[in-house]
Amino acid sequence: MNDLKIDTYTFSSRLILGTGKFGNTRTMIDAIRASGSQLVTVALRRFNPDQPEDDLFSALTSIEGLTLMPNTSGASNAKEAVKAAHISRELSGSPFIKVEIHPNPQHLMPDPIETFEACRILASEDFLVMPYIPADPVLAKRLEDIGCASVMPLGSAIGSGQGLSTIDMVRLIIRDSNIPVIVDAGLRSPSEACAAMEMGCEAVLVNSAVAVAGNPVEMASAFAEAVNAGCRAKAAGIMPRSGAAIATSPLTSFLGKTS
Amino acid sequence: MNGLPGWLTDQQESADIEPLLTNAESFPLESLASESSAMTLRRFGRTISLYTPLYLSNYCSSGCAYCGYASDRTTVRRRLETEEVERELDSMKAMGIDDVLLLTGERTFQAGFEYLRACVELAAARMTRVSVESFPMSVSEYAALANAGCTGVTIYQETYNPERYRKLHRWGPKQDFPDRLEIPERALQAGIKNIGIGTLLGLSEPVEEALRLLRHVRYLAKTYWKAGLSVSFPRLRPEAGGFEPPYVVSDRFFARMIFAFRITMPDIELVLSTRESPAFRDGMAGLAITRMSIASKTTVGGYSHPAKSRKGQFDVHDDREVETFRAALKEKNIEPVFKNWEPVYNGPNIGHVEPAEQS
Repeated sequence: MNDLKIDTYTFSSRLILGTGKFGNTRTMIDAIRASGSQLVTVALRRFNPDQPEDDLFSALTSIEGLTLMPNTSGASNAKEAVKAAHISRELSGSPFIKVEIHPNPQHLMPDPIETFEACRILASEDFLVMPYIPADPVLAKRLEDIGCASVMPLGSAIGSGQGLSTIDMVRLIIRDSNIPVIVDAGLRSPSEACAAMEMGCEAVLVNSAVAVAGNPVEMASAFAEAVNAGCRAKAAGIMPRSGAAIATSPLTSFLGKTS
Repeated sequence: MNGLPGWLTDQQESADIEPLLTNAESFPLESLASESSAMTLRRFGRTISLYTPLYLSNYCSSGCAYCGYASDRTTVRRRLETEEVERELDSMKAMGIDDVLLLTGERTFQAGFEYLRACVELAAARMTRVSVESFPMSVSEYAALANAGCTGVTIYQETYNPERYRKLHRWGPKQDFPDRLEIPERALQAGIKNIGIGTLLGLSEPVEEALRLLRHVRYLAKTYWKAGLSVSFPRLRPEAGGFEPPYVVSDRFFARMIFAFRITMPDIELVLSTRESPAFRDGMAGLAITRMSIASKTTVGGYSHPAKSRKGQFDVHDDREVETFRAALKEKNIEPVFKNWEPVYNGPNIGHVEPAEQS
């Protein structure tokens, strides 16, 4: 499997894990190890240096070879997200920032307008900007134009487990994109992650599907295999689907009689 | 009903929850628990956010018949002075607490707006989330609180039944039922990010209370789309005045109500306080509840001087300390989350559309 390249960074794993929602930190760490993930996202609001037992950041730094991608979950507008990105970079030292702006704290859908504005500022400040976005092909290109390192369209709502309900839009984003497209949110099972990779996603980001699985560590490993399989299948060249049935009375038989 | 908002009696807005509350044959408790648990797990994961109340003052100008701090109770009155507030907050912080709910009685000379605003500032300097459960304020006062670092306002209607409400609130500004209904909106218009509403279970017929509470939260969700919404389910507990709740809400109905709220509102915070027993709280963790109070003292000055604690606003039923409760949640494979916010997100919510005037 080829490496995932984001800007100058390369990762041999194409599975990115989220770190929230786990029942305990030990399981989270074991799941990350089992997944082989080298890039994980963590919310700034879960940084808690005052209380090590509550601090996801220090737990994650104990894993060797892991790159952190802090996220701005909790921000409701661009201004807050930009400030959060600055603090995150100071605390973590990571150039990656997952821009996540959801002004409605119930459904957590990303705000395209505020996201664009935050990304514009952060890209100009040399962050590696990874925006979580609605599956909107126009927005994706606008974000590429202003220097984002990737785009991360949602497969479906966060924590919904509804899979790739935005599949047609994600296909358009992949077709037109010059930066990695990473499906983020909504995936429920490894087969969906595999399908996303077969479609041409460069990576997938999964959190709930692993964290709330009956056995998160085993599920993390299963996702890793599925992502790997999807990536290899895509590289091997997937047999094209037949477009339509062949009519018994050919529609083009007249072509031999035209000269 | 004259002067009352349309949503209060709009039965269509609660038609989906009603059978879940009233038809036990078609909707057995166990099946509701199963669905509620799965929905909670998907949206919130295996976590519960924790907060702790801090009683700043028990002076009160109101005559709520069911409250241990009502102005006709003979309880000792006091308020925490600045140094005491700091000491209490520092004691709580040392316990790992990072999310505090500041409480006072109705507005009094001793504990008015400026006092509360100053306490919010003290709390915001130490904690990442600071909410208040206090007297009703004007939009400009709520805005000033938001600027001081207040991230949430909790305000219970107590009962959504206007007649019961009038009887139970014997004097004081809290007697105005329609005015109280509007308070969450004033806070949201001022840019407060999170609103907690609830009904005090036991004061009025519980099914009707649940229906109206659901309509209220739905109205707020539609009108203030950026609002973080949480619903609490306080059941009346014994208090100093010996008030006997006219309606007894059984554990089974109470659980049914909580599951029904999760099923009909899959992504709002549902809160359970230490009014409830350890067994009930442990049992409900992971089934629907996403936010719990912990190590609560309902006395003024209860954290730095626990031995001096006297009679509180009500009797706490789950008096486990932080470590014990943390261990109980971990036993259930649920991560207790102490910090789940960042002050950088404290700017006031902008872009709310003013609600149209009720005709």
